[in-house]
Amino acid sequence: MKAYDETDLALSFQALGADYDVRVPILLSDGTRSLGRLEEGKMALAGGKLGAKPTSVFFPQMDLVFQQKGTNVRMQAPPSKPLMVVGLTAQDADCLAFLDRFFSTNFKDDLYRQKRMNSAVVVLSGKCGRDGEMLRLSSGNCDLELVFDGDRYLALAHSQTGKAMAEKMKGGLETDEISLGRLQRESKALPDDELKLLQRASSLLLDNKVPEDFWVDISNRCIACTACNLACPTCNCFDVFDWKCGDSCVNRYRLWDSCQLDGFMREASGHNPMGTEALRTRRRIHHKLAADVIRWGQMGCFLCGRCDEVCPTGIGIKAVSREMVEKYG
Amino acid sequence: MKRVLTTCTYCGVGCGFYLVSNDEGQLVGVEASREHPVAQGQLCVKGWNAFQFVQHPDRLKQPLIRRNGQLSPAFWDESMKTIAGRLKEIQRKHGNDSIAFFASAKTSNEENYLMMKLARAVFKTNNVDHCARLCHASTVVGLAQMFGSGAMTNSISCVEQADCILVIGSNTTEQHPLIGSRIVKAVRKGAKLIVADNRKIRLARLAGLHIRHRNGTDVALLNSMMNVIIREGLENKEFIADRTEKYEEFRKVVEKYPPEKGASICGVTAEEIVQAARIYAQAKNAMIVYSMGITQHTHGVDNVRSCGNLAMLTGNYGRPGVGVNPLRGQNNVQGACDMGALPNVFSGYQAVTDAAIRQKFEKAWGVEGLPDTPGLAVTTALDAAAEGKLKALYIMGENPMMSDPDQNHVRKALENLEFLAVQDIFETPTTQLAHVVLPATSWAEKDGTFTSTERRVQRIRTAIEPVGESRPDWRILCDVAMLAGYGGMKYDSPKEILDEVASVTPSYGGITFERIGQFGLQWPCPNKEHAGTPILHVGKFTRGKGVFAAVDYRPSVELPDDEYPYVLSTGRIYFHYHTGTMTRRSKLLDREERFPFVEVNENDARRLKIRDRQWVCVSTRRGEVKAQARVADVVPPGVLFMPFHFEEGAANVLTINALDPEAKIPEFKVCAAAIRSTP
Amino acid sequence: MSITVEKQADLKDPQEALYRPLLCKMVSVKELTPTEKLFRLERLDGRPFGHRPGQFVQVSIPGIGEAPISVSSSPSRGSYLELGVRRTGVLTGALHEMIQPGDVIGFRGPFGTYFDVDAMKGRDLILISGGCGLAPMRALIQYIEDHRDQYGKVTILYGAKSPIDILYKDELAQWVTSTQLNCQYTVDDVPEGTCWDANVGLITQLIPPLDIDPARSLAVIVGPPIMYRFVLQELKKKNLPINQIIVSLERYMKCGVGKCGHCTIEHLYCCMDGPVFWLNDVINLAGAL
Repeated sequence: MKAYDETDLALSFQALGADYDVRVPILLSDGTRSLGRLEEGKMALAGGKLGAKPTSVFFPQMDLVFQQKGTNVRMQAPPSKPLMVVGLTAQDADCLAFLDRFFSTNFKDDLYRQKRMNSAVVVLSGKCGRDGEMLRLSSGNCDLELVFDGDRYLALAHSQTGKAMAEKMKGGLETDEISLGRLQRESKALPDDELKLLQRASSLLLDNKVPEDFWVDISNRCIACTACNLACPTCNCFDVFDWKCGDSCVNRYRLWDSCQLDGFMREASGHNPMGTEALRTRRRIHHKLAADVIRWGQMGCFLCGRCDEVCPTGIGIKAVSREMVEKYG
Repeated sequence: MKRVLTTCTYCGVGCGFYLVSNDEGQLVGVEASREHPVAQGQLCVKGWNAFQFVQHPDRLKQPLIRRNGQLSPAFWDESMKTIAGRLKEIQRKHGNDSIAFFASAKTSNEENYLMMKLARAVFKTNNVDHCARLCHASTVVGLAQMFGSGAMTNSISCVEQADCILVIGSNTTEQHPLIGSRIVKAVRKGAKLIVADNRKIRLARLAGLHIRHRNGTDVALLNSMMNVIIREGLENKEFIADRTEKYEEFRKVVEKYPPEKGASICGVTAEEIVQAARIYAQAKNAMIVYSMGITQHTHGVDNVRSCGNLAMLTGNYGRPGVGVNPLRGQNNVQGACDMGALPNVFSGYQAVTDAAIRQKFEKAWGVEGLPDTPGLAVTTALDAAAEGKLKALYIMGENPMMSDPDQNHVRKALENLEFLAVQDIFETPTTQLAHVVLPATSWAEKDGTFTSTERRVQRIRTAIEPVGESRPDWRILCDVAMLAGYGGMKYDSPKEILDEVASVTPSYGGITFERIGQFGLQWPCPNKEHAGTPILHVGKFTRGKGVFAAVDYRPSVELPDDEYPYVLSTGRIYFHYHTGTMTRRSKLLDREERFPFVEVNENDARRLKIRDRQWVCVSTRRGEVKAQARVADVVPPGVLFMPFHFEEGAANVLTINALDPEAKIPEFKVCAAAIRSTP
Repeated sequence: MSITVEKQADLKDPQEALYRPLLCKMVSVKELTPTEKLFRLERLDGRPFGHRPGQFVQVSIPGIGEAPISVSSSPSRGSYLELGVRRTGVLTGALHEMIQPGDVIGFRGPFGTYFDVDAMKGRDLILISGGCGLAPMRALIQYIEDHRDQYGKVTILYGAKSPIDILYKDELAQWVTSTQLNCQYTVDDVPEGTCWDANVGLITQLIPPLDIDPARSLAVIVGPPIMYRFVLQELKKKNLPINQIIVSLERYMKCGVGKCGHCTIEHLYCCMDGPVFWLNDVINLAGAL
């Protein structure tokens, strides 16, 4: 296997730019790291997960569905080059797999899938978290994984696409797998108390042990900013709207929506099945920890921690789960 | 993809975030700025959706000129010449003060500075004002007199350092969400929260004490609290002795307000007042947060003074977690005031009546004979127009038809003008009355600075190309000045304008684009080495000693009677912003509240046989509007609350044009109204 | 209820444009009540819509948007689609005001589950609808009329707010006089001065007098949210088991294909797993009824 330093990787990503529209973590002007093209900013691989919803590459906040001129409907064209996304964490890759399945099961969402198909996903793991913190290694659900050993990134190809990419990469030193083994052991030894907490919260919800009062209390602290939904890599809800783009020309867009809003389920008649703040707060947590378990066989939260970070009042899914478990066991 | 760091265009909290645009130059989203000191990677629902209205198809894309009664498309050249020509002509015919200029709390500091320069240097009138008149004029007058500075004394970060927070007349989680969220967090960490507001706002649910005093009785409530504090010896004697003056006069007035008297005026119990007084006075660090529930009264300045008194009485100034903190409503209402878009002061609150100051500006601007008497305010200018004394009005980014009291009066005033020019980003009820309408760019299409409620001067940056033929307000103003024959308003960029501001404005003396950088600078910042001032009045007040103000309770002008038995209070809601021009063109925000509504207490509704979400008719002596009833216990019996964002159910058809004698702010919070169901 | 879950997403196979509206022509518009109209649509290519009673379509008007509308006609009546639409929101308002016969509009679908007419075979049927609920119920009634010999006793109960709100008045009159059907209807309230000689009162009052054999009966309920609880109480008194009751639930579906999330009921998507449910699949889900 090969180990790369950042210079090698920058050159490699540049080379892969021939086949892909490459997005890497770049440093924005205030120090925020975000996905961008190599020429848009300084590459910043290390630093842990990206703040914004990482799956937005395939499912953007606002996206054109189609343009209709008269009776002629032109759907959004697929990207001219497939996307290559560098910088997901192992948790993010799990989220992406969850979203992939969601958008591909039963009806297939072509807007998502035309961006996702043939794309390449590169996970960063190992000691490249904030201040060198150890990030969990992926379960292999990505094309390529770059495992940072504190000095270099070990390249692990997990798919045919990943192997093809690895072949086109520049530089790198041939290295043994000892260091990888050590990192794998370290990754396995990472604490899993958060996962246990979440699983406990999930069982409480599935067993119907959380009373209405709990949700009233949490919802009193919710200011309906919707950030939990907008930052969540597995949230998929959207609304649709039309904008005129000239005489008899209309663009239809879709836009991230949030189940924390009163209008999310309100019907034109005024009836609202989620008409109280408590019901909406419950839905946010219950959907990920119970409904998804019933429907998909797994929780819809992979503990990326984004909703806890973006929530202005501290009621992200981890915080709420903690309170729930403290109160009800 | 392109990401540009900018400052939110909605409220005065001043959150930073990135505007995201795609390869086609279309705004497609917002990303948080994780390092921004105010936002810290968080935003409210308006912030997350702030990109939505910018490229809305309704944007004004070319100038319009009224021809044969109809507004029709025109060229820039012709439109600009018409404006300059008509203004000059009216100036010649009717004198300098026959023209007024409305600057805008939505536009940048640079643009507000230019508007006031245009009014004063080019047209030689002090008739320049903006909508701060309608929100915090009382604050600017009241706090400046008492302490020498009419702004938030502390910083937003101080909220989480307070041991007690008194929120009076502010629905903070809705109007200043990222300050409200800090209050929520402070309460979780153990801070005591007192909410004085007769609506059951979200914070009231978390408050240890919720006082639902009658609308407009704040002076009585605060005087009674202070009566208790003095009676129980909880005042900070050392602070009073060292740092204040006129205490005795003040004490004598407060003596007249024992809690029983306050209770009977306010419609609360004396125990509640005593409790509030003790909680506030006994806290190590107690902070007052207020907003328009305090200011929008005919006794708005007195309300502000009472807040100032309370904090002085207990020594809560000049350190983290304390102070008197008026939350400014609009993104740049602080800045528009700072820039002197006010009838009595130049930038940095330098009085027009001061000859030395006038001389300084005459020299800096290369003009002579700057006017020396304060001009007309937004409210009084419209009165003058209605009376035919004001002939022309130039409005930049304001919508008085929706924002000012008594819409029929405003319409009459605007229709009475010989000439009305309006520049805005969307068509509004105000542009519909204009002779010339100019398409301006939004905040996403230009550079400049906004000053937030915590006096933080921050950058906005160009994220996308201008929509249609729209131009930034600063360019338009420069061109008008040039066409009007003034050569002193030529700039290549807003950066140069801010440099000029710094050169004539002591509190902005050290503020430049470079120094603002990513996260801004808080004024006063007198020189290039100064790091800014997060907390005012440390050690001593800006004016030296703080002055206690002895104020008596005065009832509101129009109280309920048999014909109009309800108190109507107006305000804003979380999802909409001001006159709704932007939020109502944002999909999710508009979806949340699509109709004008009026909050009615459930007991009143039962008696009136009004169901939730039923259409009702609300009327006052000024007019009537239709709105959907929201039946709940948010307002107490006898009170109605209406947001003013909706053109089709404009609350300001109903409001009364009664002004505070000093601040000229209208009494938006109290008038007498009736309600009935519509067939 | 079976939900098919794939273990992993297949990101290779091609797909259709899920959100592309197809075009259809407005053939006729008929006023049903002051707030409701019946729209008849035909596909431009003349092909049938392929719908079954109980399903809905997403109607699309460019510049206005889309809204889910349940189909009111049975495929056994022809290749057209009839939509009984109450004017409530933006799109239904535009349908009422802007669209004329001859206009071309967009549609997607039909979507959703349908009334299980096979499971109903040989059964006595109690078809209960309130208000707009008669719109999808009409499709089922038409279907049953056209296959009348396959079903046992058929009882139709319908409740409207007031006489002026009664939908499909002509057909209702036919059902009432038909010897093949037992149809009764009622109104909640009769405004003063209205001529009215039929039932007055809530729809629940029509249930107790019915002679129901719980062993061979099957009930279908479609109506406003408030109606379900009270109707179910009455059916319980008749000992009708919950696995012999079908309900159709209303939600504001945006996409119609289980993606936008607006119509979820716990783990179910009303647009895809519904709108027609067996009662025992949803009765214990929070917020379902």
